Amino acid sequence: MSEIVLQAKGLKKSFKSPTGLLTVLRSIDLEVYAGESVSIRGSSGSGKTTLLQLLGGLDVPDSGEVKLKLSSRTMLSPHRCLGQGVGFVFQNYQLMPELNAWENVALAAQIAGQGESEKEAQALLALVGLSHRIHHMPTQLSGGECQRVAIARALINQPAVILADEPTGNLDEVTGKDVMNLLLEVVAQRNTALVLVTHSKEFAERTQRRFFLSSGVLTPA
Amino acid sequence: MAWFFHLALRQLFPPGKRFPAFAIVSILGVGLGVASLLVVQTVMNGFGEEHRLRIRESFGECVVVANRPISNVDELISSLNLEEEVLSISPYAEGPALTRRGSFSGVAFVRGIVPTDEEIPARGYVVAGDFNELDDGRVVLGIGLARDLRVKVGDKIDLWSPVMVDQAEKGKAPLPAELEVCAIVRTGFSEVDNRAAMISLRRFRELWSLGNKVHGVILRLDDPSQAPAIAARLNQGKPDLRFVPWQEIKKNFLEAIRFEKTMLFFLMFIITLVASFSIGSTLFSAVIRRSREVGVLVALGAKPWQLVGLFGLQGLWIGALGTSLGFVLTWTILSFRDSILGTINNLFGDGDMVASVYQFARVPLHYEPMDFLIAAVFTLLVTTLAGLVPALWAAGRKPSEAMRDV
Ligand SMILES: Nc1ncnc2c1ncn2[C@@H]1O[C@H](COP(=O)(O)OP(=O)(O)OP(=O)(O)O)[C@@H](O)[C@H]1O
Ligand SMILES: [Mg+2]
Repeated sequence: MSEIVLQAKGLKKSFKSPTGLLTVLRSIDLEVYAGESVSIRGSSGSGKTTLLQLLGGLDVPDSGEVKLKLSSRTMLSPHRCLGQGVGFVFQNYQLMPELNAWENVALAAQIAGQGESEKEAQALLALVGLSHRIHHMPTQLSGGECQRVAIARALINQPAVILADEPTGNLDEVTGKDVMNLLLEVVAQRNTALVLVTHSKEFAERTQRRFFLSSGVLTPA
Repeated sequence: MAWFFHLALRQLFPPGKRFPAFAIVSILGVGLGVASLLVVQTVMNGFGEEHRLRIRESFGECVVVANRPISNVDELISSLNLEEEVLSISPYAEGPALTRRGSFSGVAFVRGIVPTDEEIPARGYVVAGDFNELDDGRVVLGIGLARDLRVKVGDKIDLWSPVMVDQAEKGKAPLPAELEVCAIVRTGFSEVDNRAAMISLRRFRELWSLGNKVHGVILRLDDPSQAPAIAARLNQGKPDLRFVPWQEIKKNFLEAIRFEKTMLFFLMFIITLVASFSIGSTLFSAVIRRSREVGVLVALGAKPWQLVGLFGLQGLWIGALGTSLGFVLTWTILSFRDSILGTINNLFGDGDMVASVYQFARVPLHYEPMDFLIAAVFTLLVTTLAGLVPALWAAGRKPSEAMRDV
């Protein structure tokens, strides 16, 4: 068995809501191994986005802990090392509107303190099939193209794991399929682990391990 | 170059947009605020400077007076001549007299002067005639006194000195001095304009039986702004003399000018503050509009100080560009002040106030570098803060929440 790159133990998360405390995640345990792909399905409002945010360190759990493999030895809580070790792909792309495709990809590397990122950004855009669009602004790109840029951006800092939250949710069926194919292809090719949140059974089938989130717990599906 | 430099520039001036409305409106706002502050300050400084110059030229830069007439005036002059700060010295004598022409009469404060001395007060304010024609048989009058006597240049007036009253008491029958008006002056200071009568020192000594004494000397200094200090220094070791700098002569008037300037600065400061706040709120809403982007930047690993840098820089640039624009606007407005004022006068039919009330040829200006510096520093501070405060707020939010914003 290969090594663990992301590990969640006993995650619990609740939110204050108008109707009192809303417990979204009760007890989540998850181990993601290097290079594998994992899918999470669940009904709307079941807490999939919340879980991904905890896994990526965008929020902290009420109890339990998340550990992320950064280098060969250290495991760190991901909210202490945002931008390193984890790459995000969001449903609505979340590109910087004032930067072109190339700059959007390079920005992630610059923020992470990686110098000389321009070449790498160009190579990644070629990898996602956008070498002819690198100077386009997000408004000049189609949804599918935007998501490809976002995938390139998620890859540039060589994360151990990519967290993708319904990456095809805003795309039509054909484009969605293309983007999903690309995503699965590049993570396999670069031996990057993938945690995919999706509504689509079809896409979930293509991952190596599948989970279902309901009532705040993960069950294998 | 740090990434947020580049991003700040892009957010302020988005590429492909020919009219970056947000940036332009903010910069214009700052520029107008700065310009209105500086235009008022510069004109106020101009009036102040002009008034100060007029005081010096109407009363002298430093007047040396004594309790009783000075008899050893040559000695005093040669000792003052040794002083570096003293450029020239002019002796004078003064006293009240009665002036008459026909059935009109007026009280004059007569000054005997050396007609050729350049630093004679009011010499530069001749409105009729020629000061240079002053000799033993002529007189220069203040415009108010000339009006009281209904005289113009070339007319003759009679002058009765107190000495003549003495003579009359002793039973002699004195004759008044007959003097021809050779020039009329107008300084704008009523105590000069309504009373002044200047005759030659030689004639004064004769009419007042003063021998070769004088009542004081008037000094011209190399640095008039330092007159109080110079006067104090020169006064040392001369207890029977009093050195009065021009600032002391018209103390209340100068204080009023200074107070006026302070008040106006205060008012303009409030206006600028209001302008700054509107820029602050514009920047604030800009940051809030971007809170989802801030969330993404945090997710990508941006540190709070970098976010503060990102928005603080935008505030700083708006401030810097706005201040520069304000400087240019100030200079432009002030360069065209005559046509602007002309238009206003035409519109409201007020006539030329500057000429009639202040007797200045045109609106006076005085560029004070300190005012510009203060305006620039203050504006940069406010606009940078206006960017920083919302940035701090944005940086403090959880990225998970920021990214849920729509
Ligand atoms: N900041 C918050 N405050 C209060 N409630 C929240 C907050 N964030 C999420 N929730 C609630 O938590 C629940 C789970 O939200 P989450 O976005 O994780 O669902 P999801 O599974 O991603 O749904 P979808 O498939 O529609 O995206 C929802 O019921 C939501 O109302
Ligand atoms: Mg969701």
